[in-house]
Amino acid sequence: MSHQGASNTDTMAHLEPNSYQYMDPNQGASSAYSSLNTGVPSTTAPWTMKWADNNSTLNGVPPSSSYYHGQQNEPLARDNKDVTNAASQAVPASSLGTSHGPQEHTGYSSYSSSTDTYSHDNTGYQGYYNGYQQQTSNTYSQQVGAYQISGAPYQPLTSVDNSGSYAGSTSYSNTYYNTGDYQTAGGYSSGTNNNQSTSWSDGSYANYPSHQYSNYSSLDSNGAHNSSTVAAAPLSYEQQYKQWADYYSHTASDVSCAPGTENISATSASAQSTQIPGVATCYSISDTQPPPPGTTSWRKGPSSLEYPPSQESVVPGQSDTTNGYWKQGTSEFQSHHTSQTPTYSQASYSQAPSYTQTPSYTQTPSYNYTPSYNQTPSYTQTPSYTQTPSYTQTPLYTQTPSYTQTPSYTKTQSYFQKPLDLDPVPYENSQDLQKSASPQRSNSQYPLHQIPQSYHSPIQTVSSFDARRTNKVQIPTNPRIASSLTFGLPKTDKDSPTTDAVTKPAYVSVSMPKCDTKVLSHDAADSMLKPGMFPASLRAYVERALARCKNDVQKTACQTIMKEMITKASADGTLFTRNWDIEPLFPLPDMDGHKKDNSQNSSIGSALPKYKRSPSRRSKSRWEPLPEERLVEKLASVNQASVKEVSWDLVKEREQTGSGGKNESKEDGWNNAKFLQSQQQIQSKNLQRPFKKPRFGDTYSVTENGDASSDSEKEQGLTAYYSGAVALANTPEERKRRESRSKRFEKGQGQHAEIKHSRPKVVGSGNLYTKRASAMVLAKSYEDGGSRAVEDIDWDSLTVRGTCQEIEKRYLRLTSAPDPATVRPEEVLEKALQMVLSSQKNYLYKCDQLKSIRQDLTVQRIRNELTVKVYETHARIALEAGDLPEYNQCQSQLKILYAEGIKGCHMEFSAYNLLCVILHSSKSRDLVSSMARLSAEAKKNQAVKHALDVRAAVTSGNYVLFFRLYKAAPNLNTCLMDLYVEKMRYEAVKCMSRSYRPTVPLSFIAEVLGFVSSLQTEKNDEKNTNVLEECEEWLRAHGACLIVDSNGDMQLDTKASSSSLFMPEPEDAVAHGDANLAVNDFLTRTA
Amino acid sequence: MSYISMGEAHRRITDYLNRFSDSIFSQDALSLKQLISISSNSSSLLSLADGLNVFQDANRLVKQSDRFSQFGEIAVPLLRCLQNYRINRLAEAYNSFEKSANAFLQEFRNWESAWAMEALYAIAYEIRVLAEMADRELASLGKTPEKLKAAGSFLMKMFGALAGKGPKRIGALNVTCQLFKVYFKLGTVNLCRSVIRSIETAKIFDFEEFPVRDKVTYMYYTGRLEVYNENFLAADQKLEYALVYCNPRSEGNIRMILKYLIPVKLSLGIIPKSWLLEKHNLGEYHDIVLALKRGDLRLLRRALQEHEDQFLRSGVYLVLEKLELQVYQRLVKKIHIIQKQKDPSKAHQVKLDVIVKALRWLEMDMDVDEVECIMAILIYKNLMKGYFAHKSKVVVLSKQDPFPKLNGKPVNS
Repeated sequence: MSHQGASNTDTMAHLEPNSYQYMDPNQGASSAYSSLNTGVPSTTAPWTMKWADNNSTLNGVPPSSSYYHGQQNEPLARDNKDVTNAASQAVPASSLGTSHGPQEHTGYSSYSSSTDTYSHDNTGYQGYYNGYQQQTSNTYSQQVGAYQISGAPYQPLTSVDNSGSYAGSTSYSNTYYNTGDYQTAGGYSSGTNNNQSTSWSDGSYANYPSHQYSNYSSLDSNGAHNSSTVAAAPLSYEQQYKQWADYYSHTASDVSCAPGTENISATSASAQSTQIPGVATCYSISDTQPPPPGTTSWRKGPSSLEYPPSQESVVPGQSDTTNGYWKQGTSEFQSHHTSQTPTYSQASYSQAPSYTQTPSYTQTPSYNYTPSYNQTPSYTQTPSYTQTPSYTQTPLYTQTPSYTQTPSYTKTQSYFQKPLDLDPVPYENSQDLQKSASPQRSNSQYPLHQIPQSYHSPIQTVSSFDARRTNKVQIPTNPRIASSLTFGLPKTDKDSPTTDAVTKPAYVSVSMPKCDTKVLSHDAADSMLKPGMFPASLRAYVERALARCKNDVQKTACQTIMKEMITKASADGTLFTRNWDIEPLFPLPDMDGHKKDNSQNSSIGSALPKYKRSPSRRSKSRWEPLPEERLVEKLASVNQASVKEVSWDLVKEREQTGSGGKNESKEDGWNNAKFLQSQQQIQSKNLQRPFKKPRFGDTYSVTENGDASSDSEKEQGLTAYYSGAVALANTPEERKRRESRSKRFEKGQGQHAEIKHSRPKVVGSGNLYTKRASAMVLAKSYEDGGSRAVEDIDWDSLTVRGTCQEIEKRYLRLTSAPDPATVRPEEVLEKALQMVLSSQKNYLYKCDQLKSIRQDLTVQRIRNELTVKVYETHARIALEAGDLPEYNQCQSQLKILYAEGIKGCHMEFSAYNLLCVILHSSKSRDLVSSMARLSAEAKKNQAVKHALDVRAAVTSGNYVLFFRLYKAAPNLNTCLMDLYVEKMRYEAVKCMSRSYRPTVPLSFIAEVLGFVSSLQTEKNDEKNTNVLEECEEWLRAHGACLIVDSNGDMQLDTKASSSSLFMPEPEDAVAHGDANLAVNDFLTRTA
Repeated sequence: MSYISMGEAHRRITDYLNRFSDSIFSQDALSLKQLISISSNSSSLLSLADGLNVFQDANRLVKQSDRFSQFGEIAVPLLRCLQNYRINRLAEAYNSFEKSANAFLQEFRNWESAWAMEALYAIAYEIRVLAEMADRELASLGKTPEKLKAAGSFLMKMFGALAGKGPKRIGALNVTCQLFKVYFKLGTVNLCRSVIRSIETAKIFDFEEFPVRDKVTYMYYTGRLEVYNENFLAADQKLEYALVYCNPRSEGNIRMILKYLIPVKLSLGIIPKSWLLEKHNLGEYHDIVLALKRGDLRLLRRALQEHEDQFLRSGVYLVLEKLELQVYQRLVKKIHIIQKQKDPSKAHQVKLDVIVKALRWLEMDMDVDEVECIMAILIYKNLMKGYFAHKSKVVVLSKQDPFPKLNGKPVNS
């Protein structure tokens, strides 16, 4: 390791200058580079010191000047980004994102801007492009190369990496090769890219810490500069997070294309991992490379070197802090988590993807397979590149699909999957899964991959190194590392859980908001049933998801969720294309898994921040997944805190157990790198698990780097990995320790985490979370991308599918996104409707219930005969209660539904509609037009005919006909006619008093004006008298003059009445004109 | 379409462009109008369209010459419109025309004199007609017909360009009429109100100043609006104005006016001569007029049912339905006359049974209560003078003018 470190440092020095040069142009980048440089020197020092150095450098950087902070932060972020990006693929996006991210997480929108601000980024992109295509040998080209690499990783996520390496391999290889060193890696053009990326990543690593720190400091005001180291660490995390977020965004975008994300993450991870190794190995390479394009620029680096010193000065603090940092970092992390929780949760989600990405690492091996890749043009499908930009643009999601589309992907996935499995095994070493097998597999695969792509192998090795480091060396120096480790661990944990439990939660949650509607339970079930049919990654995913379940209840819940997810995925056709490894797991209420997988959790947490961003993106595209993701993220964040501790512990343990100081330092570096590349780390961890790969990679890297240390590292890494990871995972002692540590963490710093934990537990299904998350996501998306307009949101994908089984539900107007847990699915709604229909309760209750049913139908976009039935039912009940406003709502909905061709009582309601127009619209035009709309068929309908007759009676003032129709009204036509009765009677009496002389008998009036039915009067004298009394009362109330004739019968004195009639003020008149709003009256009416 | 050589196509296009620019430079609105009237299907435009389909790069021709390119924003989309119109891509044609019209309106604002008014009228007309055709095309393709709406908003813009002091204001009524046509077609007649208000209240407009043809059109549409509002007196007044000033040779226009004027007049108790109905081919009113004359309720209802769709569409159904009361009046009047011939002393007492029996002869199955109600309404509405004695079920008519004529007054309510 020391050799490697030395070589690395050398390379770093060389590279650094180069990077500096680059940085200079980039400005921000330069700072990062400088940090890298410093980092390099430090690395040259003892590895363990490297971190310190790096830290110091990093620290120094921030202090070095506000300038650095300002620009540097950004630059650093960028550098970090670059590095991380290069490492993680997220590069452009991530870098941009990070740069923005440091400023604010909102980075996405900034991507473009970031690119703008960062000429490097831009150039980098261009360069990437150029490199890919033209292999431009700009000084930037190297950086570009790095960027490209990073970019490639991004694209690669799915295709990008591949393409990057492959397509890029040619172009890159050219550029890189031009640089020369990479050419050594060169066997694989992609490899070269990777190497470059690695070298860059290395630089970035160094830079990262510093940058990240600076970022953190900047970002987290918390991290007092004193604690700047600490803060820096957190910052770096944040940056990482941001990067992750970027990744996430990519990944998130990929989410649908889980595979793609996996690839991305994998690539990123690989890049990072490569970077890590690269630091040692790659640096040399990078050195060689950088010189060609921008040696001068590199030399400029010295200026940046100055920075390093400052950083270095800081470093001590960091080193000191390392332990403290860890704690602080953890605390900060926690705080971050808490504060950022959403992002964390997202990050965790993304991390989960990153986990899956790990497979992608294995994919990196596939890169090694490069030949195959080459074969698969899909990789070259640079579209991924364009996609990266698009990533910045919300479209990214769609892009991800493209990833999935690449058949090569699936292929790679399959490859990866194996590796993944292997990876999980390593991760799971502690766990039950494929541990032995996986390593072997990974080894086997790795060899293949590695062979073709020595670079890749290095990368892998790097990842392995990381894993090893994480496992072996818990270099406290870099909380980041720890975090990264933790990240990686969480991922592994997740993986392992998924492998164990297999599937359900993770699948469900992650997969497919989009698919919701599509979800095929059968498919899912089938998929579940036939693991053989599914990609290994999927199985791993399921296992992961289930593994997270603490108890049977959760498991069953997870299973159902996963079934849905799988069915969706299969329906989507993404089942095999999706990178399940990357798919975020469901948020589980369980914390145990987290504790166990502290490292994983932490890694998740670190990843989460980045993911957060991505989730937001996802949220746009996918409603359900996001919430889930968020939940996961939250969990992850919570876990992260604990995980961080654990991870640190683990790291320490690993360090102790494993490699020597040098190795440790390297590992630390790796860890750091991992931290930066939390996702990557996770991946790397996976890779590491397949330690063979890492080993191979190490060897490769060694060979590439020409460092003797690589061998030792490899050995150490392998041993450490095996001993550490497996032992740690398996031994109950370790678990206890982790748990206790995590608990400590929670108690001390992790209130948030606890809260989060408790929340998930409470929620169980996580509905609330999802709700909030989705809402947040939406909000975030709005915030993030000013560019994202409402119309860009894929509302279809946001459609909720309810899970609530309660039949009764109170209506509450939604003020946020609907929560699937409180939304009833169609079957339940049907029962609810039956319940309302058979209910004996009053109208208020029924109305409330029906409104909630309507709401559930609406949010789930159910528009079928049930919908019509609900609206019809509500309209009828509202009519009976005289609640016209409610009726009108239903009527207007029904109009639309009928127009869509959904069957129902169309005629009945067109009759109501007609009556409404007649009775409430004084405009004959409305009447004519609504009559003109009636079809000939409708006019034959009894109800419609009745309504038309009523219309004729009203327009002609024929009160006799009106009240006859009133008595013979079908359906609820009576209810609507009721509203016109008063007016009709008044007109009638006015007419009578004008045209009749001398008197009109009361009984006649009562009969004609519908006070009673003639049959009843004949049969029941009592009723008749009652009716007469009622009529008399009404007439008197309207100012009629009544006299009693010689027979004792009441008569209307028409002459006297003709001048005395008046329309009394309605007793229930209210100031606002709507009697329905008079609560008391309403209550009495509806009671 | 016979084959046209490239050269011929080129010649036709440059010829058109020459005429176009000439007409603008010489401020010849009429020739400009001919060049703009896409839907006129004039042979010169059709041959130009054929030429355009052969010579696809007309834009280059426009841009080549300063003389043409000066009005390129008008001419280029206009040519494209013509081309699309020729090959029946009407939605495309409309889109192009709207572009051209916008450019033209822009130019028009800059011209101080109102020389181009005729051309502007042509554009207002063309954009509406093209929009209607485009909407038909869109509807047949299952797409949302929205072009007419767009044309409406363009015309509103055009109205804004004309509503001001200056010589151009006399064009406002023409555009208003195009707007009416759009709104009536779209069924958004309440949008007419704002335009009407500005025409009738704005001081810049003197109604008599507008061209007669526009005034007639305006009166026709506002008269129709009054029919909708059941404001028969105002409707009668406006439609009468339109009828009086309408060009007697515009048979179609006169018929359209009469379609509304006749029901309005009927509701005012004025019955048209049968030759008028025959001359203007308004047979649908024949039976109604006959029913009114005879007091034949059955005939009225049959006629209404027979032409229900038509009357509903034109919006006069309710107006005609209200003639029922006049038919009842006529029936009772006939009974009264017959009774007077039999026994003048008791003629003013019409028994309800008699009326019921008469209605039964008309196959109107109504019971005593219902007929009693109708009699009450007749008295109430002042279609009969007298009173109804409930005890004896007799309508006691006034001895003096028991059936007052409406004489141009609406049935009071």
